[in-house]
Amino acid sequence: MLYINGTVCISPQNTSDNSVFLPEVKPYTGNKIYCVDVDYTKFFDPGSIRRMGRLIKFGTAAGMLTLKDAGVETPGAISTGTGYGLMDVSQKFLHNVIDSNETSVSPTSFIQSTHNTVSSNIALMSGCHAHNNTFAHRGFSFESSLLDAFLLAKEGYDNILVGAYDEVSDHSYRSMKRLGLLREEPCTNTELFTAEQKGTIAGEAAAFFLLSKEKNENTYGAFAGCKTFSAPANADELKSITTAFLSANNLSANELDVVVSGHCGDSRLDALNEALIDSLFTQQTILVYKQLCGEYMTSSAFAAWLAARIMKLQSIPETLIKVNRQRQPKNILLYNSHRGNHALLLFKHV
Amino acid sequence: MQVYVAGKGIITAIGNNVAETLQSFRKSKSGISHITILPTVHAGTLPAGEVKFTNEQLAELAQLPASVSRTGLFSLIAAREAINDANIPHLNKWRVGFISANTVGGMDHTENIFKAFHEDHTKADLSDVEQHDSGAVTGIVAEKLGIKDFVTTISTACSSSANSIMYGARLIKNNLADVIIAGGTDALCRFTLNGFNSLMILDDRPCTPYDENRKGLNLGEGAGYVVLVSEKVAETLPKKPSAKLVGYANANDAFHQTASSPEGKGNFLAMTGALAMSGLPHEAIDYINLHGTGTLNNDVSESIAIQRVFGMNVPKMSSTKAFTGHTLGACAGVEAVFSIIAMEEGMIFPNLRWQTQMKEVPFKPVTELMTGVEVNHVMSNSFGFGGNCSSLIFSKIK
Repeated sequence: MLYINGTVCISPQNTSDNSVFLPEVKPYTGNKIYCVDVDYTKFFDPGSIRRMGRLIKFGTAAGMLTLKDAGVETPGAISTGTGYGLMDVSQKFLHNVIDSNETSVSPTSFIQSTHNTVSSNIALMSGCHAHNNTFAHRGFSFESSLLDAFLLAKEGYDNILVGAYDEVSDHSYRSMKRLGLLREEPCTNTELFTAEQKGTIAGEAAAFFLLSKEKNENTYGAFAGCKTFSAPANADELKSITTAFLSANNLSANELDVVVSGHCGDSRLDALNEALIDSLFTQQTILVYKQLCGEYMTSSAFAAWLAARIMKLQSIPETLIKVNRQRQPKNILLYNSHRGNHALLLFKHV
Repeated sequence: MQVYVAGKGIITAIGNNVAETLQSFRKSKSGISHITILPTVHAGTLPAGEVKFTNEQLAELAQLPASVSRTGLFSLIAAREAINDANIPHLNKWRVGFISANTVGGMDHTENIFKAFHEDHTKADLSDVEQHDSGAVTGIVAEKLGIKDFVTTISTACSSSANSIMYGARLIKNNLADVIIAGGTDALCRFTLNGFNSLMILDDRPCTPYDENRKGLNLGEGAGYVVLVSEKVAETLPKKPSAKLVGYANANDAFHQTASSPEGKGNFLAMTGALAMSGLPHEAIDYINLHGTGTLNNDVSESIAIQRVFGMNVPKMSSTKAFTGHTLGACAGVEAVFSIIAMEEGMIFPNLRWQTQMKEVPFKPVTELMTGVEVNHVMSNSFGFGGNCSSLIFSKIK
């Protein structure tokens, strides 16, 4: 078990300020939603802000703000995940290479395009010379960094910064469109779950966590477990994987208070989540979150930020509630999947 | 808990498998040549370590559709060789993982469809769109190999596959897995070729790492994997493992996005961290497989850090990138295979084309192939953009 001693999320909602917790939902029109910017001049000089890709800015800022929230200057290690990586600057560079027929190419975007740019930026800004990892494995990217942190804690590291981030780039948006994943326009995020519909909305966010072996006065709660698995054959297999995960963590389904479900708004895909909830979680409060951040490869990190805030405040913002069973949010399970990558995360109030 | 190396597999410009690679080393035959496969305007001017197979030929070797990215084709060819080499009885009764690494994913396909796709998103093939990201390539290979228990991808620039090997070893040490196929893959593409070219760190001649007059690196491509196993699995093997992974460390230079600190702080921390874990005195290292890219910056920082770690009594060392080019996300996987070959064959590879002593350091790399040498402990260095520095230490099992 690792204590969450700091967390900050930058998302399409007003989430970067921990003195409030989702007092309202920002409505957006259309099938893609972008992060609310924070004041980047606190982290970068104006010249670099102009040259930097968006994800580098909001990813790095979320990491640095998390360190500040935890009162930690230099983390003991850094491990992060990103599905697409720095896609926006990559596509800028590709346009440059192709448009100039490889003859007049500027290195600015290329330098920023490696997947480890955010992790290494945070290392640079926080003076962290220790272990530094970046996972890029679709719907397992965040979970892989969490497992890395669990291993690091056993190996003697402490105050480990983990997080995950992705951005809506022109390329990822077009890809989702080509793959038939997006909702037809006109649509809005606030109506993601109002009727049986097809498609979801493209989203983005960066969420970070400072994980420690000891709790302190700023502790939000604890990460108690994590499991990744490939697409179950059917709802029964998902049910048995979930039950086995809970019992491996010495819990029965009844002892869970809240289940955060990665419903994406496409009723064909959400059927599996519904089946799991119907079979195991009829006494639990059920929350959904993608109306806030949209769908992207590492959205489970956004949901983990929600779980952390809920545990600390012991209250649940109205906008998240799908089914309310009036339970105190002590033990929280997150189930999310992204195109064949399925993950379960367990959180405990402390 | 010990972590054994039970098998290895490789494909680079100097061979499609371990046997061909060994032949190239024996003949000191470099794989650096003019680019003939990748469609690029730089084909005549920028040499590279290109694998001389078309995608169709690679697809046949890999037994995959030719629509799979070149990165994925290399990956399956090398990973499959590694698994066959390990020859683990009843492999599916163990908890098996595939931890891969790459930097470009399916970029070789993306750059071909990019223009049309951005004019009309219905124009692109679904498979090209599907396999852009780094994880997609790993997923295709894992599925083909039938590996489900642990699958993930690390992308930390040029140290990517050192970190995948580390992650694999840690899963075994923490008793979360029994067998891990770990390493990395990357294909040449216009994206990286033009990126490194725009940074003006590509040599327009075959590269000369650790030479005073070096001009930069040559890019390469390929894949390299090792099969890591626990003690319990090692006991069941028909062929005794030849090596153990005894030390590793991941450190960050935290100095600059693309350049190494002049004193090589990250490099120093990676090497000393790996040594500390291995419990070996630095004198025990018989050979360092250098990161040795051939850029002005890397080779100076790395050699200064080596001097700080080893003092005046430095081990034998060479950069094999003069053979293969810099294979980016694959290089630590490729060079892990080379490190094990060095121990198995009692061989130290030459740092090809070296002529002039670097003025910053008093030592020089090995310049002629050495055979019949006792090589018991090898350090392999991999340093990348973002200050990501990792070192691995392998020991021979006698």
